Amino acid sequence: MTDPLDALEKSISTLRRAIRDAATAGDTERAGELRAQLRRAEKAWDTLIDTGEPATPPLWPEPQAAPVVHGSRLPAREHVHRALMLLGTPAAPKLIVSVHEAFFSGELSASKLSSLRRDEERSYRSSPGARPYYLCPALAHDLLSPVRALVTISTWPLEQRIIGPLSQRTDFLTGTVGVAQAVGSSGEAATPAAVRLLWRLAATIPDAIVRSASGLESAPDPQRVIEAAQAELDVHTDADRATRAEAARRARKSLSDDQQLFGSQLHNVMRLQAQRA
Amino acid sequence: MNAPVDDRLTALRGSAQRRAYNARSLAALENNPRCTLRALLDASGSDKAAIAEHAGYPSAFGQSTFALARGNAFEALVKANGYAELLRVLRETLGLTVPEVGNRDLNDVGGDSRQEIRHTHTTRLLVKAAQGSGDSTLYDHPMLRLTVGGYAVFLEPDLVAFRADDRFYIVEIKSFPIIDGQADPVQVKSATTQACAYVIALRDMLRQAGIDPEAAVSDQIVLVAPKDFTNRPTAAFVDARKQVAALTRQLARLERIKDLVELLPEGLTFDLAPDGGQAQRPVEELTDALDQVDATYRPDCLNHCEMAFYCRARAREDASLDILGPEAREQFGGVDTATMVMGLARGELTPTADQSEMAIALRHAARLRAELDQAYRGAA
Repeated sequence: MTDPLDALEKSISTLRRAIRDAATAGDTERAGELRAQLRRAEKAWDTLIDTGEPATPPLWPEPQAAPVVHGSRLPAREHVHRALMLLGTPAAPKLIVSVHEAFFSGELSASKLSSLRRDEERSYRSSPGARPYYLCPALAHDLLSPVRALVTISTWPLEQRIIGPLSQRTDFLTGTVGVAQAVGSSGEAATPAAVRLLWRLAATIPDAIVRSASGLESAPDPQRVIEAAQAELDVHTDADRATRAEAARRARKSLSDDQQLFGSQLHNVMRLQAQRA
Repeated sequence: MNAPVDDRLTALRGSAQRRAYNARSLAALENNPRCTLRALLDASGSDKAAIAEHAGYPSAFGQSTFALARGNAFEALVKANGYAELLRVLRETLGLTVPEVGNRDLNDVGGDSRQEIRHTHTTRLLVKAAQGSGDSTLYDHPMLRLTVGGYAVFLEPDLVAFRADDRFYIVEIKSFPIIDGQADPVQVKSATTQACAYVIALRDMLRQAGIDPEAAVSDQIVLVAPKDFTNRPTAAFVDARKQVAALTRQLARLERIKDLVELLPEGLTFDLAPDGGQAQRPVEELTDALDQVDATYRPDCLNHCEMAFYCRARAREDASLDILGPEAREQFGGVDTATMVMGLARGELTPTADQSEMAIALRHAARLRAELDQAYRGAA
């Protein structure tokens, strides 16, 4: 009875090593595939332990041909990168998915995004700097801890990745400007999804959408949305920028390189608080 | 609370783990303060759901998972994109000005979501805001603490908004609709009762920091809910002054539990004698114990108390008028059971002095009914 378990354990450790090698080499496709195999092997191992006998025939990792990469099918992280660059601000997975669906092709789901985020940090820790960019969480301005609900790109300056009290609003307004510009530049070719997204974002900004006398809202005019968002943005920008710059200075002084990307853990937070007190 | 009372309460609970009050049991306190059984079970921290189930009346109580998911989805929608929708409705109702958009997420402190730590963090930020040196308007899921009957209870409102006029407003986000400016009164009442506990807890916190609590925390609750048949949020003020006062009074009267405990027979316990997760206590023994304590059943108990089905069955057995609800109950002042009502109506019982008026009314009603009955039968 221990035999299949032993074999599984061996293959699990082999797989782990292979994943590490693939990650070091920067071969994300291969690593992803190996990871799926590892999960299958671990699942089989769990079932074996639970039932004491193989419930399903253990799925041995079979050498598979590398999947064909279609030109249009970019990896999910590229999708996320593209959407974030359009917005130009940290964003929640839901917004990233909406932007992606409105302007780009290919599949991207919120659940895929969350598993992606975990992989990014792991990949960075195993070989820092192997990729041109990483997707990382935003940082809270006070504790410099990760704000996991918001995704950013590692190549952005710290000031852009830090979230102060006003930042969510300024980021929202900046992001809306980005979306409005994208809709404006595509003119008549803008997809219904893109117009809908712009309408949804603009509806909460004062004076961004013209209401007729009967209270009906018309389709959003990108130029008007940009002006309205800019007007509110002007109110918040200075205070927000000051908070972010101050926090960024503090982060550069007290955090290591990887902490500047993925945030400081809590025990460091406590120490920081103690220092400040 | 003094030690002997505490010991008695612990004995009532038995071997089970103590359950803390939560926003819902606090709401029950305000809704049905007269119920001795509920008061004792809550004060002793007994697991009402487990007791009701063992007594043979499992409550389908607890929120449906669908309702929970719907509530959470609506809250997420309201708070999405940097509180965009919420800011829109608060600008319309509270009159927030454009610069008032700062927000703090108090769901965790640097990834640590332990209640004590969140509470300390919340206190620091909210007190700072009340003193005028805060940097935010919206405080998302602050962790408040309220001392109920000597025990600390942690409470977590959906959001607290701090307005530039130096007032805090509790914001409750609920997923039942406000249609044409009207919402289901039962739902609104339960939402405001919950929010009252938050108002009291927040006032407590500020009082300890030396800030005038009544001035700093509004007793107007901001209710955010879907507008009409859409998913777009709208907001309305709900006046909770009366409910805040009522709950404050009930909390102060929790000390009264001492008097209740003293009336109980020695050795009474609601212990289920669990063994390996299974309750071992004979059901009759448990129901006997429960029967020794008065329960005041009201139909709206079904909305908030796990014991409601048990109490309803008991009230039916006793032919008590309680099941008809307070509206009917109040009509029959001095008469407690349906058998007595019928007896008086038929003239089979001799009314006591204070029942005589009621008896005349009942006999009159019976006569009218008999006449109608006859007329109807004659016609048919």
